[in-house]
Amino acid sequence: MAEVRAEITANVWQVRVEVGQTVDEGDELVILESMKMEIPVEAPCSGTVSAIHVAPDSQVTEGDLVATITPAGA
Amino acid sequence: MADADDRYNWQPLIDDLTGRRGTALAMGGAERVQRQRDLGKLPVRERLELFVDPGTFVEYGQLADSMDPALAAKGPMAADGCITGIGDVDGRRVAIAAYDFTVMAGSMGAVNEAKVTRLRELVLRQRIPLVWLLDSAGARVGSGTGSTFAGAGALFREQVVLSGVVPQVGAMLGHCAAGTAYIPALTDFVPMVSGVASMALAGRHLVKAATGEDVTEEEMGGAEVHTRISGVADLAVGDDAECLTAVRRFLSFLPSNNTEPAPLRPTDDPIDRRATELYDIVPTAPRRAYDVKKVITAIVDDGDFFEIKPDWARNLVVGFAHFGGESVGIVANQPKVLGGALDVNAADKAARFISLCDAYGIPLVYLHDVPGFVVGTVVEKQGIIRHGAKMLFATSDATVPKISVVLRKSYGAGYFVMNGMGYECDYLVAWPTAEIAVMGPDGVVNIAFRKELEAVPEGPERDARRIELAEMIRANIDPYVAAGHAQVDDIIDPADTRAAVIAGLRANRSKQVSRPWRKHGVLPV
Repeated sequence: MAEVRAEITANVWQVRVEVGQTVDEGDELVILESMKMEIPVEAPCSGTVSAIHVAPDSQVTEGDLVATITPAGA
Repeated sequence: MADADDRYNWQPLIDDLTGRRGTALAMGGAERVQRQRDLGKLPVRERLELFVDPGTFVEYGQLADSMDPALAAKGPMAADGCITGIGDVDGRRVAIAAYDFTVMAGSMGAVNEAKVTRLRELVLRQRIPLVWLLDSAGARVGSGTGSTFAGAGALFREQVVLSGVVPQVGAMLGHCAAGTAYIPALTDFVPMVSGVASMALAGRHLVKAATGEDVTEEEMGGAEVHTRISGVADLAVGDDAECLTAVRRFLSFLPSNNTEPAPLRPTDDPIDRRATELYDIVPTAPRRAYDVKKVITAIVDDGDFFEIKPDWARNLVVGFAHFGGESVGIVANQPKVLGGALDVNAADKAARFISLCDAYGIPLVYLHDVPGFVVGTVVEKQGIIRHGAKMLFATSDATVPKISVVLRKSYGAGYFVMNGMGYECDYLVAWPTAEIAVMGPDGVVNIAFRKELEAVPEGPERDARRIELAEMIRANIDPYVAAGHAQVDDIIDPADTRAAVIAGLRANRSKQVSRPWRKHGVLPV
């Protein structure tokens, strides 16, 4: 399991993937909004989205879990 | 005649010398050398062959031994576990101290310390770079270990004396603890071999004894830790050969000492080459992210950029490149990570790199796209003001030519630390997308117009007023307002960025700055 965490305190602007979806390393999972910038949260590895822990318009703090990925082949 | 033969009997003496030399060249012996290879490491003498131009290495103290009666039974300690000497690297002289893990785990003993001390003296007299090839367990700990430690430690102080005089490199090629972990900490460039090298104040056995923590060297201080989390090391590399190539590349951007110019690298890349690909790389929409490394490779000579600390504090990119053949340090905000906002680690990374470039007379080019410093409780508790001050300090202190290009946003203290006009900036140009201001329009509305907004009934009416005010303020955030006040030197077509940077560097190559006398400024560390 790869845990994807927020690197900055932010609003969740968009969730770009669904649970069960296959993603490649570097794909945008969620787009946060902070410091007046769109901050993409990218998949750290290729695999399947096993959980999304945030919803649009919610708030995350640095270090919060954003999504969980089951790595390909795991 | 027999008498005459006795008086010219050289052969046994030559044989004895040759035998001793052979013992030294064999390092820790065939078995330990094989174990070194099994660990994925090259024997130290093969490292030197890879690193130094053939036939140029002059070794000092090859016949050194431990000279420790307690170790006499173990036989000769080849070169006492550390090879020292001077050789050419890409045609320029470099001093090298290379620890040999096959001899007493490359530990620092009295004799090899004396050899390295002599090397540091030569470095100071010759003013040539000092490269440490580190594969050493640290201090040699034995039965005699005790309070004679009271006289030890000058090596680090001497390294500090050399700092800013000659470039130093600490190449991490094996597990290094304590002393051999502080050596790289005081150098200017620390590449680490992934999965093989580690650095920690104490090795795992000492950690277990001291705190009970059970960890591997890799978990505690491997390349993954130091190039991604701690920021202690600069670059993760695949193996010994790749590591030595990285050291050679690092040195190619730097002069041999602080009184010489950095080497020029001739190029066929035209100085006025237009980089129209920038129109597709950088969005005009200010909130949209992009990869600033693509901007860097589009404008530097031959697209060749040597990034330092690529995996740590990725919201800021630093590294070396050439512009029109001249060696330059680049400091660029990275909108792709944290929106390019500056945090504690980014400020640290920038401060150290700027200090390095300034020490060796390498001009700095800043590429601005920064919404400011990250704000809020998390970063305040990390001391962001103190860390941000380091970057302010380094940029203010630097007297090399400093060029700034404002690509899009450059807000607040972010603009200052990125070499704003007030920082002895020698040429400041902006793209038409540039937004330079103390803060963005929404921030101004929330502060300056808070009372006015609160007087408007909450709901659509207040929202409309908020947008109206923001638009009014946005109209003042315009690069042509700054240009109109001659507070930026020019507004440029992004495609002409390369030409503008080179023009700025050439116009300011005789820069001189005189400061009031002082012993030194006080680092806000």
